[in-house]
Amino acid sequence: MTAPDGAAPDGAAPDGAAPDGAACDSAACDSAACDGAACGGPSRGVRIRAEGWGWRHNGRLAWAVRGLDLTVPAGRCVLLLGPSGSGKSTLLSGLAGLLDPGNHSAPGHEPQGNPAQGSTAQGSTAQGSTARGSTAQGNGEQEGELLVDGVPARRARTAAVAGHRARTGLLLQDPTAQTVLSRCGDDVAFGLENHAVPREEIWPRVTAALNRVAFPYGREHATSHLSGGERQRLALAGVLVLRPGLLLLDEPTAMLDPQGADLLREEVGAVLRDGDITCVIVEHRVDRWRDLADDVVVLGPSGGVQTTGPVEEVFSRAGRRLREQGVWIPDPGLVPVPVPAPEPERAPEPLLLVRDLQVGRPRERPVLSGVELEICSGTALCLLGPNGSGKSTLALALAGLSAPLGGQIEATPALTRGLRRTAPHRWRPLDLLTRIGTVFQNPLHQFVATSVAEEPAVGLRLLGVNGEEIEQRVGRLLTRLRLDHLSRAHPYTLSGGEQRRLSVATALATRPSVLVLDEPTFGQDARTWKELVELFGELLGAGHALVVATHDLPLVRALDAVGRVRTRTLGP
Amino acid sequence: MRGDPLRFGPGIDPAAPLARANPAAKLAVSLVLSVALLLTVDVVTAGTALVLEIAALPWCGLSPGALARRAWVLPAGAVPAAWAAAFLGTDSGATLLVLGPLTLTEGSAQAGAAVALRILAVGLPGVVLLSTTDPTALADSLAQNLHLPHRFVLAGLAGLSMFGILAEEGQTLRLARRARGLGGGGPLSRLRSLFGVVFALLVVSLRRATVLATAMEARGFGASPHRTWARPSPFTRSDTAFCLGGLALALLATAAGTATGSWHMVLS
Amino acid sequence: MPPHEQDTRTTGSDETPIEPGGGRNGLSLGLPWGLAPGHAATIAAGILLGIAVRAVGLPDTWELFGTSGDVLTTPVALLIALGTISVTGAVTARSPWRVVDLVVAAVIGVAGGLFLWGIATSWNALTTPLSFYPPASAGLAGLWLVPGVLGGLILRRPGAALFCELMAAVLEAVLGNQWGFSTVYYGVVEGLGAEFVLALLLYRGFGLLPAMLSGAGAGVSLALLDLAIWYPTFSASYRTAYIGLAILSGAVIAGVGSWALTRALARVGVLAPLASGAAAERV
Repeated sequence: MTAPDGAAPDGAAPDGAAPDGAACDSAACDSAACDGAACGGPSRGVRIRAEGWGWRHNGRLAWAVRGLDLTVPAGRCVLLLGPSGSGKSTLLSGLAGLLDPGNHSAPGHEPQGNPAQGSTAQGSTAQGSTARGSTAQGNGEQEGELLVDGVPARRARTAAVAGHRARTGLLLQDPTAQTVLSRCGDDVAFGLENHAVPREEIWPRVTAALNRVAFPYGREHATSHLSGGERQRLALAGVLVLRPGLLLLDEPTAMLDPQGADLLREEVGAVLRDGDITCVIVEHRVDRWRDLADDVVVLGPSGGVQTTGPVEEVFSRAGRRLREQGVWIPDPGLVPVPVPAPEPERAPEPLLLVRDLQVGRPRERPVLSGVELEICSGTALCLLGPNGSGKSTLALALAGLSAPLGGQIEATPALTRGLRRTAPHRWRPLDLLTRIGTVFQNPLHQFVATSVAEEPAVGLRLLGVNGEEIEQRVGRLLTRLRLDHLSRAHPYTLSGGEQRRLSVATALATRPSVLVLDEPTFGQDARTWKELVELFGELLGAGHALVVATHDLPLVRALDAVGRVRTRTLGP
Repeated sequence: MRGDPLRFGPGIDPAAPLARANPAAKLAVSLVLSVALLLTVDVVTAGTALVLEIAALPWCGLSPGALARRAWVLPAGAVPAAWAAAFLGTDSGATLLVLGPLTLTEGSAQAGAAVALRILAVGLPGVVLLSTTDPTALADSLAQNLHLPHRFVLAGLAGLSMFGILAEEGQTLRLARRARGLGGGGPLSRLRSLFGVVFALLVVSLRRATVLATAMEARGFGASPHRTWARPSPFTRSDTAFCLGGLALALLATAAGTATGSWHMVLS
Repeated sequence: MPPHEQDTRTTGSDETPIEPGGGRNGLSLGLPWGLAPGHAATIAAGILLGIAVRAVGLPDTWELFGTSGDVLTTPVALLIALGTISVTGAVTARSPWRVVDLVVAAVIGVAGGLFLWGIATSWNALTTPLSFYPPASAGLAGLWLVPGVLGGLILRRPGAALFCELMAAVLEAVLGNQWGFSTVYYGVVEGLGAEFVLALLLYRGFGLLPAMLSGAGAGVSLALLDLAIWYPTFSASYRTAYIGLAILSGAVIAGVGSWALTRALARVGVLAPLASGAAAERV
């Protein structure tokens, strides 16, 4: 772990951010404030306009967005909210010019080959194999118009590339999925190369962009060694180096630890302060971004704009309804407070004893050593600490999935229930089912069946539970987790929140005494979050032991409110 | 899971004289040597080439340990192939050994030796030259020196940079199967579980690929047929010399084979 | 989600989202698979020329590698006819590579490379039990062909099978195997074998039968290269058995396997941004 800040999870203010005194309002701090090399005359902000815009992805019956009317003046920062499935990400892709309607609609299909000034004619077929033909088959169907500075967004993008500069920059949610090349400098340079910027200009701009996001490593550093937060800042540098007039952020901090998220927010804040740039941010966790945003736009569940206006006004006017739709509203009066669960009937008894434990990858230096823990029934053990501190590795070892490098994990007779071996990693997979269940950070990792109803039944079948009882137990579980209407869907096709609930259901179906959860609330909206907390409270009340590796401090506080909790903070 | 096998491991010196050659030159040398050696099955040509290749090893930037780690697969493949050729191949000449249905004759023993030497001689340059080549430099060279379509080359490179992540995902998927109670039974259930892991890995990688494509497109990739290159890929005189050296090695080995009359065209 | 019952089980009648080629020029003549009249004429000419060559026969005075021309008549005739069809197929497949196609192909290549490398490291263990009958190892040859056939089926782009197989082979070689640089040749040859069949179907067929044919095509090319490079000492009966087994293995393991995998992936929804996903049912 190489995070520059301290290990305290409830984030001391990160250094490296611009001191507040240096901040100036955007009007006074135009190009004069930036020296040529660092940001080379920031782009003018971009106007956004949607007129009855709609988009339907290939292979979908439903429209992702429909009937959207929206205007964002140049230089504004907009927080884009809405329930999951309201098409926020689709709108960002559209603004970035990445949605290609092909021949479905679009009266003026753009030439792909040479998008330079106006040579629209039939030139599109003669551009060699790399850009041959019109895009006969796009990635969806469009209606209405989505304009960036008065030009259809897709055409604006190709024209900008031909003009050696970007009009829009897009930062996505998953830090590991948007690193293109294997060295940091090369990754930042990638966009400049695509925009045909001359080589002698490239490296000074790359260096300036890395400095601008306070990137702690040099150009030669390997991207595979970066943490999530560092990868995300690298991606931001790769976007900013193109000097976009419109910055699009698609849940940029949803997968980061609090330190990484705060740093990224600081960098974005600095960009907004010193450049005349338009910005659209999609994010569940509103509290982190509300100071930066000028306006809020809320998309409705069935398309179109539900509410819009200045930040505080919208929150006070529509806060309650937004919360019901799963938006995180920071107002203390609106924070979801789960009902405390009843005290467990039995006193806690130890289930797993951990002594002088070392964990890490096989044949490598341990990431954690000397761990002493006791995991007891009816108690939640929260493992805290920044990315790379070994939370997940420890959780996997406690779950009996990976062998410790040293020391031991010993199950007490209350957990072994007749098994000869006390070390969980030596148990058969079948023996784990009723003893230790695991919920992985990425729900996709643990799905093995082809339908939602079949997924929790897998473990029960392996245990030889009879068919009728399986049906009953699975039915109850799915109803409890609001998944019953999806029972025939394929697990991979569910939304993020549904996948999370199903992954918890799969682990709970066999009623394990210990439940190990790795970042269970990662990227979840407020509604799913609240449901999870309530469910965990019930489990504690029923005497299950929980081990929760998490960054989510509100989760720890909420668990504390509903049951017995111990925390353990791991250093990097 | 061991670390990312695409990164230079310990014991590899990418600045060694032959290791720092332009990847296109390395490619050309590997190509020439393998064609020359695959054309014939004979002890002399393969043996000469192997000796010369080993003589060139000190300039390749691989320590003995790194070489052993990279090249152990060569003998592992050569020995069974030689065994098969020696005992199961066409018999000729005096019989040396009979083990039930298996016979070893002078002719088949020589064929076995030739097969083994050939595997080693074909494999060694590939293993050595590839293990000192950085994928990014290879892509730069493929696009700038060999002028292959840059969109394909760069997409391939971006895919490669996901390799480490995919390997990690595969490991997590295996653990997750165990957590679900799977993979504990006999070989059949293990195999089923393995299929499940492969499928899930494919799903996860395809999703990542889609997101990566979005990120690349958002940074202007594929929108214009013109692009510049941040990293030059010079093809210098020493690269030309290296290519000529490879050609000389191939010719020398072939000449030795023909001179002794043992050179034997495969396709006849 | 309902199963994709209407998914293509038969050859060429697959419904790609490509509208009839005639429609673009306003001259819809109702040709199958959206072929423009000019392209159909080219194909017809190629087939006719092939038939003509076969009927007339090549002169036996002409030699190639010591083989006289009349023996080569049939192969040359086939080459002319099939070559014309496949080249026309590649040219008329009006589906340019988009960025998402490129990256997905690369990732299939990388995943395939990992897979091939796994096969390579266990190849001796897999084939040793088969060494009682030397050509039997060809029964597993289909394993090598999966990346190419799968790439062709998933992406439905000219060159996809070749790109995926080549990428996988290069990665396999980089990770280190006992065949060294020659792995790259295998990648090219196997990829071309799979690609050739898809091109023969004019990139209009991606159902079960095309998949099996594509696997079989890759199997033939792999077997021929294997025999030439590694098993030059095989007797004629061994050679026949080797080729036959490779075809069977290619059709079953690579063909049926990739087809089933593609269907399963489409059901999961990950192919939605791709041509194979766009052709699937809307959800």
